[in-house]
Amino acid sequence: MSTVRIDVSDLVVRYGDAVAVNGVSFTVGRGQHLTLLGPSGCGKTTTLRAIAGLEQPSGGSIRIDGQAIYSAAERKNVPTEQRGVSMVFQSYAVWPHMTVFDNVAYGLRVRKQNAADIKANVERALDLVQMRHLADRGASKLSGGQQQRVALARAIAFSPTVVLFDEPLSNLDAKLRAEMRVELRELQRRLDITSVYVTHDQEEALAISDRVIVMNVGVIEQIGTPEEIYNRPRSRFVADFVGSANLVKGRRAGPDTFEAEGGTILRVAAGGAEAGTEVAIRTAYIDLVPHPGDNQLAGTVRQRMFHGDFVQYVIECAIGRLIVRRPPVNLLDEGAPVTVSFSPDHTVLLQG
Amino acid sequence: MRNGFSRLRLDGQALTTLAVLSVVGFLVLLPLVFLVEESLNVGDPMAFPPVDFGIANYVAIFEEDFRTVWNTVIIAVMATVMAILIGFTLAWILTRTNVPWRGQLERLMELPYYMTPLVGALAWAVIAGPKSGFINQLWKAVGGTGDIADIYTHFGIAWVMALFEGTVAFVMISASMKSMDPALEESARVMGSSKLRTTLTVTLPLVMPGVLGATLFVFAEMLGSFAAALVLGIPGRIYVITTAIWDSTLAYPPDYGRASAMGLSLFVVMFGMLTFYRRVIARGSFATISGKAFRPRPMDMGRLVWVLFSVCLLYVALAVVFPIAALLMTSLQRFATVILSQAEWTIANYQIALSLGPVRTALFNSLMLGFGVASVGVLIMAVLVWIIYRSQLRGRGAIEYLVMFPQAVPRLVFGLALLWAWLNIPIGIYGTLWLLALAYFTVMLPLGVRTIAGVVLQIDKSLEECARVCGASWGYQMRTVTLPLLKPGIMAAWLLIFMACVRELGASAFLMGPNSKVIAPSIVSAFASSGTELTAAMALIQTATVIVALVILFRVARGATKELS
Repeated sequence: MSTVRIDVSDLVVRYGDAVAVNGVSFTVGRGQHLTLLGPSGCGKTTTLRAIAGLEQPSGGSIRIDGQAIYSAAERKNVPTEQRGVSMVFQSYAVWPHMTVFDNVAYGLRVRKQNAADIKANVERALDLVQMRHLADRGASKLSGGQQQRVALARAIAFSPTVVLFDEPLSNLDAKLRAEMRVELRELQRRLDITSVYVTHDQEEALAISDRVIVMNVGVIEQIGTPEEIYNRPRSRFVADFVGSANLVKGRRAGPDTFEAEGGTILRVAAGGAEAGTEVAIRTAYIDLVPHPGDNQLAGTVRQRMFHGDFVQYVIECAIGRLIVRRPPVNLLDEGAPVTVSFSPDHTVLLQG
Repeated sequence: MRNGFSRLRLDGQALTTLAVLSVVGFLVLLPLVFLVEESLNVGDPMAFPPVDFGIANYVAIFEEDFRTVWNTVIIAVMATVMAILIGFTLAWILTRTNVPWRGQLERLMELPYYMTPLVGALAWAVIAGPKSGFINQLWKAVGGTGDIADIYTHFGIAWVMALFEGTVAFVMISASMKSMDPALEESARVMGSSKLRTTLTVTLPLVMPGVLGATLFVFAEMLGSFAAALVLGIPGRIYVITTAIWDSTLAYPPDYGRASAMGLSLFVVMFGMLTFYRRVIARGSFATISGKAFRPRPMDMGRLVWVLFSVCLLYVALAVVFPIAALLMTSLQRFATVILSQAEWTIANYQIALSLGPVRTALFNSLMLGFGVASVGVLIMAVLVWIIYRSQLRGRGAIEYLVMFPQAVPRLVFGLALLWAWLNIPIGIYGTLWLLALAYFTVMLPLGVRTIAGVVLQIDKSLEECARVCGASWGYQMRTVTLPLLKPGIMAAWLLIFMACVRELGASAFLMGPNSKVIAPSIVSAFASSGTELTAAMALIQTATVIVALVILFRVARGATKELS
């Protein structure tokens, strides 16, 4: 048996004349947690819905465990209900005319399990999301966080091998969202499910994924682990959308050097793009005390903003204004002269 | 990348669309085509098909019926102004002030809608008719001479129309007031503007599009309204377009050409107004409509709240309580009088009404039609709603347009069109209840589809999708998720259609035959030929029957739901 559970290849989805997904290919390994990340309209949700069978693609193929559930070449399109995938919807889609128990039992009843099994499986699922005490409550009387838990329990109750998540946390407030993130990650490890997760929240994507796919206007910008996406952004779009970065224009000057506009030479990480005209430097990777071996530039503090968890400085230097985030200790005053220092490893050449 | 199987799907879709479009088109548009043909008939008015064509019928409207056109406009303008004043005042009181029992008052404002203009007009004829009207009786009893009230005038007709359309204006205007973000007013106050200045510079401009929309809508309705002008206009020989259409078909020989020309002209004007109305609603909403329902902070009116409270009650009294009381009093006397010492109480009117064969048949027919049309209608309408709002079918926009089309056609004109169409179509349903059923179904399409659509649009699509993802087939999903969620909407549509059918007057007036009588036109002819006492009894019997039928149905429906769960 192969270790690939979901295999999406050359997927194209059109709405009329507009192309929502334009030739997307990726695989998801067994037990892996993959996140599709991108701004609204980038095609991430459409890709997810195509896997669920809720959108009709116009080209490419989708396979689960080697079996085609959609294939334009084979003219095959397995209906949603026969795909065996499960999904958590953005709006939760908790049925208001049923109790919590009935909601969670739905998939089990469709599969004609006997009453004892249904009860056992529903209770197991409700225990996982700590909702067992509310099993008999009407679903319309639940808070947003509770509905979210019911939707989660319903999605895992019938032991699906693949669970799709369509921005499940986007309707929760910030604190609850952070809590649910931890729980989701925990749940996913315990149940050994394969999941595809859609979000526009880059922090969420980095925190809970094994792998992240950054999408923009219907195509994939970059695939990688959260660390790769953060440390080695391939394009300007990824550097800008994920985390915060300073972008410096210029041209490649040698195998590992870059000439910024104004003539300053920076040493850059090996293996960047061939003919890049821009480098990205993460705001968190710039220090304000010199380190040997780093790119070092003299500058002046123009602005200081205290954020609590960090302090953000705007530093004027030879390559322009740099935004720098430091821990909130040893505060520098506005107007103070400093030396900005950042490793060549963190000076990433972007694709033109 | 249009591959084979999607083309096949498209063809299937095209066929379905074509089938639905042609059936709905046959019901909605074909009658109007016949009407256009007849309106151009300048030869023998009874010839089918017509042989001589010309525009003489249209020219005649301006040459001979100028007075009618003038009456129509003047009455519609007066009635619209009054209805909008009523609606605006009530909407302002109930959404923006701290008037007590706001919730209950708001519920009370629906009552006039259930009264219908026909019953209202009959009641006001009893209350304020010349000579024998209750107001004039009281005036004479206290020593006055002559009449102080005469409902058989332009103003009288407009007054009754306004009372019953006021509740429509109220609903529309209060919706636009409710959807206004209170922060817009609060920020004006924070900037230092006074209450009055805020109202003038912020509130009014923001509410204006809503008021303008309501004005256009109400005015269009007034132009096409029939019942009040029929009951109150004909005795005083004040004809409006609708009653003139009615009258010219009763003449001998019936002038269907002239009636058709007038009907079509009315339709064109109403259609224009409603199109304009849709434009205003679509464009003029500024940023006030954000989809959220706000509860604007009510203004503290101090002692004045009791005045405002009385204004609300006064409206309900004028539109519902006095009319019903007047009809009750009249129907229980031999000769209607408000001077209690002279009253001769009797229940003979009810006995007569119920013993008259035609009345009983008419009542029975109306209930049957209501039951049948509502039951079959909601099923078809639910399918239409699903096609229009849930399917990916091409051409669903055209279907929606056609389905909503009857809304722009005055009922009476539509009845006339159907009459003419089915005189020409060689299928013998003219003069039978089947034609009435067909007519009712067609004119109820917008009402039913809108009611069901309101519920469908509230159901999040993912509720259905989630069932499929959980492994449910389409049928299982419909049974366990879609239909249970739709039930309240379908029930509401059923009740509304049932009520509207039992009260239908405009379309029925032309389509009723000697063997297919229905109740509302029978009441009108009783008013013209028998005494007011008998008519009042019939109107109350109709009203009571509807109420009883609704109560029974509510009970049955509730019982059925309990069994299910």
